[in-house]
Amino acid sequence: MVHALQRAGQRLRPGGALISLRPHRTWRPAIAITAPGSRLPVARLINPRFDRNLRAAESALERVVREGWFTLAGARSSRYRIYLQRPSQMRSYLELITPPRPRFPPGARASLYRLWSRAPAGARIEVTEYLVITVLRRRS
Amino acid sequence: MTDGRLLSAYPPDGLELRLIERFTSLRQKRVLEIGCGDGRLTLQYAPEAAFVLAFDPDRASIDEAAWQQANRRLGNVDFRVGSIEQLPGRGAPFDAALFGWSL
Repeated sequence: MVHALQRAGQRLRPGGALISLRPHRTWRPAIAITAPGSRLPVARLINPRFDRNLRAAESALERVVREGWFTLAGARSSRYRIYLQRPSQMRSYLELITPPRPRFPPGARASLYRLWSRAPAGARIEVTEYLVITVLRRRS
Repeated sequence: MTDGRLLSAYPPDGLELRLIERFTSLRQKRVLEIGCGDGRLTLQYAPEAAFVLAFDPDRASIDEAAWQQANRRLGNVDFRVGSIEQLPGRGAPFDAALFGWSL
């Protein structure tokens, strides 16, 4: 990853921006059941393999700054929400994600189905995803 | 489908560009995108950019990106199959390098 950042840096003009958009490493996707006036948290998805990739990305970004290739222009987190109509759509949703895909922690999928069976009419499944942007500037 | 929209695991259109614009603008800039996939994000900012070189190692994704590009008649994007290793070390400099969900 460090090599990829350095390689991109070689083709940037001085002061040019290197932008990394990626999932947030510690704020994992959160699943909840929502209905008018209520929101019931169910679980956070886990993805140990991908966590390692994200840690490596953070480490590479820090290293190219430390080694003087870039300066840090800033970083910011954001989130977005996706709504599913029923639990069976979770499978389709997870299959859309490039591997390694997140998964439910042990017992959480069963909890989703159990809680869904008691959910009021009009309920939806809410998936909250978190992302982070880091922007570096190439040194002169 | 969710609420009549196609199910997607990616952020809604515009969210990532709003985040980017907090730090830098891609308008009239030369942009290098590494790991562009099917061009989902590329095709959002390309209409405002001066030139985009976007590549991805997956041929099927690049074919899809090129098809979308043709549909939108965007002439300022060069989609290529490849990785950053294959990027020539020399050439006109870029104003921005974007790793969108690919680092």
